[in-house]
Amino acid sequence: MRTWYFSEMAYHPAWEKGIARGSLRVNFPNEAVDPVEAGKLLNRYLDEFRLCDEVGIDIMVNEHHSTATCMTVSVPMALAVIARETKKSRLLTLGNPIANRPDPVRVAEEMAWLDCLSGGRLEMGLVKGAPYEIAPANSNPARLMRRYWEAHDLILKALSTHDGPFSWEGEYYHYRNVNIWPRPIQQPHPPVWMTGMSVDTGTLAAERGHVVGTLLSGGLAKPMYDAYRKRARELGWEAQPDRFAYAAIIGVGHTREEGYRRADQIADYVRTAPLVYEGFTNPPGYNSLGANVAILKHGARANRIVTDRNGEQINHRTATVEQFMDTETVFAGTPDDVFNQLKAFNARMGGVGHLLFFGQGGHLSHQDAMSNISLFGKEVAPRLLELGVPEVAAAE
Amino acid sequence: MSHTLIVSGVALEIEERGSGSPLLFLHPGEGLQANRPWIDALARTHRVIAPNHPGFGGSALPDWFGTVDDIAYLYLDLIKQLKLEKTLLVGACFGGWIAAEMAVRNTAALSGLVLAAPLGIKIGGHLDRDITDMHSLARAEFMAKAWADPAKGAIDYESLPDTELAGIARGRESLALFGWKPYMHNPRLRRWLHRIDIPTTLIWGDRDGIVSPAYGEGWQREIPGATMHTIANAGHYPHWEQPDAFAARVAAFANTL
Repeated sequence: MRTWYFSEMAYHPAWEKGIARGSLRVNFPNEAVDPVEAGKLLNRYLDEFRLCDEVGIDIMVNEHHSTATCMTVSVPMALAVIARETKKSRLLTLGNPIANRPDPVRVAEEMAWLDCLSGGRLEMGLVKGAPYEIAPANSNPARLMRRYWEAHDLILKALSTHDGPFSWEGEYYHYRNVNIWPRPIQQPHPPVWMTGMSVDTGTLAAERGHVVGTLLSGGLAKPMYDAYRKRARELGWEAQPDRFAYAAIIGVGHTREEGYRRADQIADYVRTAPLVYEGFTNPPGYNSLGANVAILKHGARANRIVTDRNGEQINHRTATVEQFMDTETVFAGTPDDVFNQLKAFNARMGGVGHLLFFGQGGHLSHQDAMSNISLFGKEVAPRLLELGVPEVAAAE
Repeated sequence: MSHTLIVSGVALEIEERGSGSPLLFLHPGEGLQANRPWIDALARTHRVIAPNHPGFGGSALPDWFGTVDDIAYLYLDLIKQLKLEKTLLVGACFGGWIAAEMAVRNTAALSGLVLAAPLGIKIGGHLDRDITDMHSLARAEFMAKAWADPAKGAIDYESLPDTELAGIARGRESLALFGWKPYMHNPRLRRWLHRIDIPTTLIWGDRDGIVSPAYGEGWQREIPGATMHTIANAGHYPHWEQPDAFAARVAAFANTL
């Protein structure tokens, strides 16, 4: 299991105001941002990313828009800085919300540029994006995945074509001369990742051999991985753990108490981030027809995704660290505790090759974040690298 | 009762009631809601033909289909296929936009046009929102703007069978498909409204919080000879909220044709 550190580079000083307004996203006016303070925080977060290279773990960056929960507005912009400040870490975009990007060729250019700049260290996540990203991008939620797949195909074609220009006349995108300069070091293109929470996503990712990741989704991960493994077998290959990624909040400390405290502070991100005005939570077409029928019938709770190991839903606005740990969205404690929890998790999942280490979530101080990264990188990550396919799963 | 008709390769679920001269009713973005009283009210004086738009209710939405232009051509084909003549075309909200797109193309089989709080054109400037952004509102706030009395529009979703819920959910997704960007309008349509060469009347609820009567007056300025009437105690769906007053207004207009 490889470890990829990420933080959303939150603007937590505005969270209380956002909570009072009932929305941290889209309709939370940016007068609540002190831009000088934002700049200080961005520099601080970038220092935390740089530490990952020193302690030997990889790096993931994501993006959101119009929100106090995440100041990264552009994955390639953030990674451009990080690529210059690091030497060894692999750099993962998870991701580029390509169905919300008007210009997929521009995405291919940015990814090729980053791959060159970083010496071939780029891993390229192409994602659907969260429902509340639809409004800031004003992208049409209907047929979103159709647009996603056309953008996906065009980006991979642009990265891997070297005798261009070629033309593209699709349903959504039109170009007459695609010929990106520079081209990526990694051929035919940097590794591709997707994210999802459903069996369908697992199946579709398997058909392309992409890595599939899931973020803080607890009980939904295993069925998605299983669907991937099943589809891969049908197609004549065996999906290894390196095809699967899982994002979780992790607090590690010199003592169990310190680890729990760090996890608790990072978990404030999860308690806060989903708070968004109802009008932006379920744009029509974003969710499946079946999910929308359930929402009409039973309200938005029908679509709540986080369940504990007994299948019970938890309220992620108020859950304790222990409750989050029951949902496998938080791992916490000493390095030994966290390693043992992740080892057991790996076994339950049938082998997960990538841990997306959510190690900073807003209120956690710089000193704590640096210590969290450092302890994890030195004490836990090297042992995780030894974890492969668990014996039980291998015997199946 | 509904029946399915294949028009230009698209399977349409169509409600048909009443007899007499034809009235083609194009439903709003909220769907046809065929069990509501306005179809019967209109059917007292007309043969009402009310299709579910492609992707709404039980009507198909083929992969190739995706614009209001497509719907406009499809319904012109429907009129031809049913051999309708002197058809009264009535469109409400999103259906009004479709009706206008049909009427700028071909009015040969139409006797008159009724637009009830239509969406579809842009009048104001870049910072003006002619059409309320219904998709940035919580459901309760949307209802408060769209209805004079939101309780009248309440739907008890829990009591509906899954097939009907699926029809509603499909309709919401399809409305987004057709109208997300530019939001619920065609920037070019206003310039072509002068082509509408049949008697036209606009009907507006006096408490419409989605499109204002001033927006209706914008339509009226562009369509030669168009009249405009307000229905009291109605929001954005006067046919739904005041079905009898709406049907009476339509009948009065039909009598002038």
